[in-house]
Amino acid sequence: MKFALFLGCNIPVRVQQYELSARAVLDKLGIEVVENSEFKCCGNPIRNTDNKTFILMAARNLALAEKQGLDMMVLCKCCFGSLKKAAHLLKQNPSIQKEVNGMLAGEGLQYKGTSEVKHFLSVLYHDIGIHALKEKTTRSFKGIKIATHYGCHALRPSDITGFDNPVAPVLFDELVSATGAQSIDWPLKLECCGAPLLGVHDSLSMGVTERKIIDGKQAGADYLCVACPYCQMQFDTVQQMMVSAQKLNQSLPSIVFPQLLGLAMGIDGNSLGLSRHVLDISRLESFLE
Amino acid sequence: MFYNIVLYAALTVFGIGLIYKISGWFRFSIGIHAKNKTISARIPAALKGLIAVIFSQKLGTLIRVFIMDVLFQIRVLKNDKLRWLMHMLIYAGFMFLFFTHALDRVIPTSLFDRYYLKLNPFLLFSGCLVISGIAIAVYRRFILKVPRLKTNAMDQYVIILLAIIMLSGIALESTKLTSYNHYQKIWYIHILTCFLGLAYLPFSKMFHLFTTPASLLANSVMDKNSDPANIMTRQVMELDSCTHCGTCSFHCSVAVAFDSIGNENILPSERMTFLKDYITRKNINAQGLAAIQQGIYLCTNCDRCTINCPAGINLRDLWFNVREEMIQRGHSVSLMLTPFSFYRGLKQQELDPAQYDNPLHKAEKDLTDPFELVNKTEEIISLTPANREFKESADLSTRTGTYSYCFTCENCSTVCPVVGNYENPQEYLDLLPHQIIRSMGFGVKDLAMGSRMLWYCLTCYQCQEHCPQGVKVTDIFYELKNLAAKEASRSSE
Ligand code: SF4
Ligand code: SF4
Ligand code: SF4
Ligand code: SF4
Repeated sequence: MKFALFLGCNIPVRVQQYELSARAVLDKLGIEVVENSEFKCCGNPIRNTDNKTFILMAARNLALAEKQGLDMMVLCKCCFGSLKKAAHLLKQNPSIQKEVNGMLAGEGLQYKGTSEVKHFLSVLYHDIGIHALKEKTTRSFKGIKIATHYGCHALRPSDITGFDNPVAPVLFDELVSATGAQSIDWPLKLECCGAPLLGVHDSLSMGVTERKIIDGKQAGADYLCVACPYCQMQFDTVQQMMVSAQKLNQSLPSIVFPQLLGLAMGIDGNSLGLSRHVLDISRLESFLE
Repeated sequence: MFYNIVLYAALTVFGIGLIYKISGWFRFSIGIHAKNKTISARIPAALKGLIAVIFSQKLGTLIRVFIMDVLFQIRVLKNDKLRWLMHMLIYAGFMFLFFTHALDRVIPTSLFDRYYLKLNPFLLFSGCLVISGIAIAVYRRFILKVPRLKTNAMDQYVIILLAIIMLSGIALESTKLTSYNHYQKIWYIHILTCFLGLAYLPFSKMFHLFTTPASLLANSVMDKNSDPANIMTRQVMELDSCTHCGTCSFHCSVAVAFDSIGNENILPSERMTFLKDYITRKNINAQGLAAIQQGIYLCTNCDRCTINCPAGINLRDLWFNVREEMIQRGHSVSLMLTPFSFYRGLKQQELDPAQYDNPLHKAEKDLTDPFELVNKTEEIISLTPANREFKESADLSTRTGTYSYCFTCENCSTVCPVVGNYENPQEYLDLLPHQIIRSMGFGVKDLAMGSRMLWYCLTCYQCQEHCPQGVKVTDIFYELKNLAAKEASRSSE
């Protein structure tokens, strides 16, 4: 199995633990990832104000993966949603496709729609499978309660992303359970993390985050678990900002899924970037059997 | 006699230029950290910093960086082998010529016997090195057409001047033995272009001969905790170190946006050119300001420019500093109401809390103000004739037309986490999602586009997913935001 790895702009500079742990896990699973230093911004941040530029930016990445003859594996959920959406628009709208291809031609690229875009979690779930994953684990978590955070842009709009059932998803919970950890039910599981409004309207963004954290805490979670750099930054760096500003009097640290999986597969904490968090997650390894 | 007069004239201009430029590093300031950093504070701070480094363990770092990055330019090699070859050819050939040939009256070269009246193979050889380097430069800039590599007048000037010096030099060597007449003419061309180059050097991009090593060395020993006065001085100096090589723009995550928007300030290398000019004058017209604001805000802070810049310029800190200065200048920036603001939100502790919200409020106001109906809650709206033109214009994503299926069940507003965040949402959001959709149906543009709800939408797609009628609520919001942003940019022109 071979994929073109799409990291996006945030992971390599701000959420390196996600890249480290994902690579470590993929390596153990024997999935080959091909680098492409030409991949650039997915276009997500400019969707609010400039639809055409958004499609162009996304299409360029899609065209690059096609040129490599590979499907794309995306780690960030906002990148994933944005690439999926652009692919949908390009397929549906031949005049947009023509215009965009006209602009891409300058770099010798063309979007044809031959490569698929998959999120990292979907690859683990569909291409590897829960059963095979379990076989690769050497240790198991015990007595740890994990609150899975699905992430909006992968789950919705479900007719375009095709990630999972949008109202009763199971994919992420089953992946977490494969490590022996308990994936808990919590009311705000499918809600937004708040990150899209950080820097735009901080009190609103943090208000959304706060409600999730309190809800997760009340449901008894030990950790939030995510698979998106924005969610992770919001639940780690921003949560810490909220605690320091006394907007929150409790905290619920967050980890990225491949860290959990990696530990269960016997990979050491250092290779999974466990020390690169703002909030304290030092108890995590003590839940390993 | 003639030779000496021109030489001293050129040297004088060169010297004055050098003083002017170097003093500029201490005279000019840039960005929000400029306050209280006067020249009288910055010069002592620089000297203090310099001495502290020389007498510390950092000296080793300096030496390593000097050998690896200044002499052998490993940073360029890692990036682009052709460019490295080009640069090495020009640089090695030029340095050799400078020390053994241009300075041969000052430093008698015992290595080779005097050149008079015989061909000098070393001269010709190094001349050819430089010429091949120039040929690669011409090939890269004019034939290869690297995407989005911009060539400005300065780039052309340097290439032409170097080419004339080298070609006339080679012609000079080869006519030495044959024709005295030609020899003299070419000698004049050669000498005059050399002196012109010398006099103009501090003002041209060739000044990077001095400043790029200085930047590479400074950045190797400086960090966030360095004296702010020195960081300011370094950031001004870094503008002189930029060679307009285009590496940053080549790696830039958003450079492709330039192809559809056409604003050169989106490309980091072009922003550097703008800033070089900007710091000396600081005045800028409204159009220029809007362009630089858009360019500098359209940045994902991916650090690729900083990681790849061969001159070792810390573009990350420069952008952060300059971006804040630009957005605080009054004109509103619609990009601020997008996820491009995430990084600024993350770093808000480094910014002045009294100023932090101002540009956000300004952007919000300028995007919603044109649609005043939202604030006139008493007004009775006449629904006929509906604004058909508006209804039809909102159809970019081909799914927008679904607004007409809405039967006002209010599901969208019920599930919306933004609505749920407020006790009294209308007060903060103007309209709730279902009301915006209904306004679309009625074709009342001012209502649909003027509410703050649009800009406070998380784009979480809960509403869209839960709409029993298949109304693409979030996609419609995206579309309305696009339209509002376009209108705002049109009206500011
Ligand atoms: S900032 Fe650096 S990479 Fe960009 S043009 Fe200048 S020298 Fe080149
Ligand atoms: S940090 Fe900004 S300017 Fe630099 S490469 Fe990334 S997007 Fe471009
Ligand atoms: S959920 Fe759909 S039908 Fe109901 S009010 Fe919202 S847009 Fe209209
Ligand atoms: S997409 Fe926007 S309007 Fe819809 S539920 Fe989410 S925040 Fe509310």
